[in-house]
Amino acid sequence: MKIRFRYILAFVVLAVAAAVFVWKYTFRPSDSSVASQKADVEIEATELLHAFETDENAANMLYLDKIVVVSGTVESVSEDTLNISIYLKNSDAIAGIICSFDKKNLEISPVSKGMSVRVKGICTGYLMDVVMNKCSLEPGIKK
Amino acid sequence: MKTKLFLLALITTFQLAPAQKLVSKNGHIWFYSHTPMEDIEAHNRQAVSILDPGTGDLVFNLLVKSFEFKVALMQEHFNENYMESDKYPKSAFKGKIANNSAIDYKKDGVYPAEVSGDLTIHNVTQPVTTKGTIEVRGAAVTAKAKFILKPSDYDIAIPAVVENKIAKEVEVTVDAVYAAN
Repeated sequence: MKIRFRYILAFVVLAVAAAVFVWKYTFRPSDSSVASQKADVEIEATELLHAFETDENAANMLYLDKIVVVSGTVESVSEDTLNISIYLKNSDAIAGIICSFDKKNLEISPVSKGMSVRVKGICTGYLMDVVMNKCSLEPGIKK
Repeated sequence: MKTKLFLLALITTFQLAPAQKLVSKNGHIWFYSHTPMEDIEAHNRQAVSILDPGTGDLVFNLLVKSFEFKVALMQEHFNENYMESDKYPKSAFKGKIANNSAIDYKKDGVYPAEVSGDLTIHNVTQPVTTKGTIEVRGAAVTAKAKFILKPSDYDIAIPAVVENKIAKEVEVTVDAVYAAN
């Protein structure tokens, strides 16, 4: 009797643990940035843009959904209620990289036009510009 | 390549056309699915839209992977199972403001807009008609609209297990702020 009770107890504990685990996994919140994740690729902004401009399908295969560190020159910084977006573009180019940050992950003040920055984010594709989401600013800001 | 040609065409039109086109690169498009079991919403704040005040031509383009959900797994399922965003990374709308002549883009105000055109999602194109507004405030033009779409119209199969959690009709809201380009 006692042994049977122990088995039942063990089973219940395991079942509850499994349920909690599944629940936690299923409803885990989205990360607001990829700051803690390892980058898949590191690339210059001009090179990334060029890849999408020349062969979008090939570039999609290479960069879509990947964590990419992009280095480039800040063209403009804009913000709305929730997000800050940093636009990396060469002055002579017609397109660039749009990097979107959750406001809580970026102090807007240190970033200004003309600065060289490194941005880590998830590449979601190419419209008029290459788009990066859930970004974080990487160390290595040069003047 | 197509996009590049499109861009090229765009730039040429900019130079030739007397009226400037309006461009929005951070259009906010979000959808809301309500069922008694669960409410789901996802936001995309990087939609690109071009509006020609002269003709009323209106284009929206967005990246499916730019939709953000609160729950990570939902975003995964949305991309992998329902939208197949690796295969079909973009959604697009191409249409016209039917009553464009009634909108004065030089005078402040909120104008009702009747929009109709073709919406492509998951590689399926369907006609869409909706009512929205064009708000003019100085140089800033804001387009807003709300419409209902059915995932089943776009060959998006919802498995039976989650049938009760995903609405048959999803509400889509569009909010884009334009600047003259």
